[in-house]
Amino acid sequence: MLRSRRGLLALGLGVLLVPAGAWAQTRSVLSKEVSVGKSEATLRLEFAHGNPLEIALHDGSVVIDGQTVGSYRPADGLDTAWRTLLAGAVAVDDGALAGMLRDWSPPEGLKGDEEGVAGRIATALHGALTGSTGTRTEAPKAGVSLSAGQGGAQEGAQGATARALLSQAGHLGVFEQALKGLGKNTQLHVGEDVNVAADDTVKGSLVVIQGDARVAGTVDGDIVVVGGTLELAEGSHVTGDVRLADSSLQRDGGSVGGRVVNVSMGESSVDSATRAHIRDEVRNELRSEMREQLRAATRVHTHPSRSLFAPFRGIFNAVGGLIGDLVTILVLALIGMGVVSFAGDKLDTVAETARRSPGRSALVGVAGTFLLIPVWILGMVALAVSIVGIPVMIAWIPLFPLAAVAAGILGYLAVARNVGEWLADSEYRYTGWIRKSNPVYTIAGGLVALGAAFMAAHVLYVVPFFGLVRGLLTFVGVMLGIVAIQIGFGAVILTRGGRRGGTYPGPYDAGWESSVDVDVDQGNASSPAASATAEPDADESPGPREDGDA
Amino acid sequence: MKAPGLGRTEMRRPRDRMSAALGRRVLAAVLTSAAFLPAATAAQSWRTVTMSRVMSGEKNLDVKVTYGAGTFSMGPAAAGMLYRMQLRYDEDSFRPQAQYEGNELRLGVESVGNSVHLGKKRSEGSMDLRLARNVPMDLDLKFGAVRADLDLGGLSLTRLELGTGASESTVDISELNAVRMEKATFEVGAADFEARHLGNLNADDIDVSAGVGSVTLGFDGNWQRDADVKVNMGLGSLELRFPEGLGVSLHKDSFLTSLDSEGLVKRGDRYYSLDWDKAKRKIDIDLNAAFGSVKVVWVR
Repeated sequence: MLRSRRGLLALGLGVLLVPAGAWAQTRSVLSKEVSVGKSEATLRLEFAHGNPLEIALHDGSVVIDGQTVGSYRPADGLDTAWRTLLAGAVAVDDGALAGMLRDWSPPEGLKGDEEGVAGRIATALHGALTGSTGTRTEAPKAGVSLSAGQGGAQEGAQGATARALLSQAGHLGVFEQALKGLGKNTQLHVGEDVNVAADDTVKGSLVVIQGDARVAGTVDGDIVVVGGTLELAEGSHVTGDVRLADSSLQRDGGSVGGRVVNVSMGESSVDSATRAHIRDEVRNELRSEMREQLRAATRVHTHPSRSLFAPFRGIFNAVGGLIGDLVTILVLALIGMGVVSFAGDKLDTVAETARRSPGRSALVGVAGTFLLIPVWILGMVALAVSIVGIPVMIAWIPLFPLAAVAAGILGYLAVARNVGEWLADSEYRYTGWIRKSNPVYTIAGGLVALGAAFMAAHVLYVVPFFGLVRGLLTFVGVMLGIVAIQIGFGAVILTRGGRRGGTYPGPYDAGWESSVDVDVDQGNASSPAASATAEPDADESPGPREDGDA
Repeated sequence: MKAPGLGRTEMRRPRDRMSAALGRRVLAAVLTSAAFLPAATAAQSWRTVTMSRVMSGEKNLDVKVTYGAGTFSMGPAAAGMLYRMQLRYDEDSFRPQAQYEGNELRLGVESVGNSVHLGKKRSEGSMDLRLARNVPMDLDLKFGAVRADLDLGGLSLTRLELGTGASESTVDISELNAVRMEKATFEVGAADFEARHLGNLNADDIDVSAGVGSVTLGFDGNWQRDADVKVNMGLGSLELRFPEGLGVSLHKDSFLTSLDSEGLVKRGDRYYSLDWDKAKRKIDIDLNAAFGSVKVVWVR
């Protein structure tokens, strides 16, 4: 019933929009733009004379010349009908296009508000294409006034009124509620402000839509204000109800014989007792919640140990950290196994270079680290200037960082292998399992040694008051890792990824030698890397030397 | 009398020209393609746009078309239409451009944003443009990575500029240009480019510059006047297709470029077609090329 009434209203108002002269000659369309996307279907028309027209169904809103006139849902009847029209509009131009758009009417079967909005679109199209003044979307403030019971308003005024009403098609339900029960003697003002002077009396109801009403005199009936402000001045008198829809009331005095009703909120339906009851309930709820929050805050501050897991938090941290360390070592060891299996000779070369010239390797590693990003960018630029280089550049962008990471890991494993060999040679406890002849063992031993500081730091989580020591151990672990990575990365660069024998400036770097305290001859004799690459004895090669490809 | 060292200088000219042509073309290709790369790799949300405009007494037109990536086609519009453009594009990456002010018409798409989403299968957009037949116009076309198929036959072109990046372009002037064209310029980056019926351009001058790729120039068509043609070729193959009866004079300035001069005889430093002296219409071709091959083909 409601739907049919809305439809009838829209239809009736639509009829009002078509004055007799509106079916005049169709205007010529100068340019057309049809834009159809997933969330938008837009038609823009430019005419040889007059304003352009833009109708868009965009993200749920129906917009005509920038003004939202309704809503739609994707793929609903309105959206489908509009897109069908646009699909036809794409194929034609000029007169055929104008005729097609002018004669478009909403398909039957549209539901609810769709029919009204579709009628609005059809009206806008028709108005734009026939050039009739009463059919275009205009600002609601049109300055139109008519009395519903008098019927003496001009046709143009009716059209403007209807237009303004149609622009509020989405509020038809509110209108219906607001206008319910009004007497026949009703003055309707749309899109204009109304002023009832102190000595004026309005006989009958006063309806103001999209406008403000200021009443200083008397209204002998109801006042309905939709989308505006009602000001009741001192000394004013309204014998009936005051109904407000999407409006506000400024009351400086005056009297209202009936009720003040907010239609959209339905405020009158809630009596004062119920409101008081709801208010009390909300107040009690808030009090209860605040009390609970205060209790919780007090409990935390005064009894921090009451948390169920608090005593075990350190253990959890320690176990979690240790598991993380061990997983990291395990993953690196697995990678090390792979490297030993598939590129053992290259790992030997890198390890040997890192062992023989750790200082130089570290310097090269640091320099290489700083140059990574510039080289990456320069490489891109250099490759981009040649056609052949463009596909290489596409590979260069991801592969260079990957190669850098791989080089870092290879270098770290090489240093770990050296550390493992050193541990195997040492007489420390718990290092007997490291078999120097097997690089997998030495790598694993070295990884454990390099990660020992981290593991120790994590173990200390279970011991209270050892935060400083834990921090120091973590710092040592980080520094060890950085140094190992820099030395290893530099060795990888020096040996071109293990493909070329390292360049040894002289005997072992003094720092490295003193720190690891390795027996040089023994190391060379027992190192498979040394024997595999057949590097000359350091004493026999005092100067720089470049080997060929390994 | 040549100045000392002039010969050596001349020997180096093709290489210099090659470098300049190659550099410019390739740089244009890279920059043009790169300008559209971010957008071309963004997420795709397709939108179709159809724009058209009827003629309203236009006396002349300056048309500038920019299109970055996709498939481009072009031809004459229906009677009474000034232009008609149909676009299919990724609305997250591009936005259509259609501006008509005074007598200048700008059409195409321009990229928006710079997001990069790799690893997603992508499909191309497309643009189809139809232009008025009887309105004299300057036409400026700029393409990025585009597969273009242009039929300029039936248009009234007073000037033509076509710039392509990394693309495959075919230009056919299937009908005689109704107005005299001052100059036609084709700048090809790294691309396969073919022009057919260049004689129908009705042009005084034709300039073709190509960086890298394969270029085929068909000089058939209805020649209305003698013309000067300049071809700068960087790296690649160039095929010159001449219709029988057209007088051709060719000057080659090249470096490491082979010339298959079928049907041409050399007189002095120029090659001439056999019927040069009797030909009704003649074209002078100034060819600069390096690192490639030039092949002459005669067609009936």
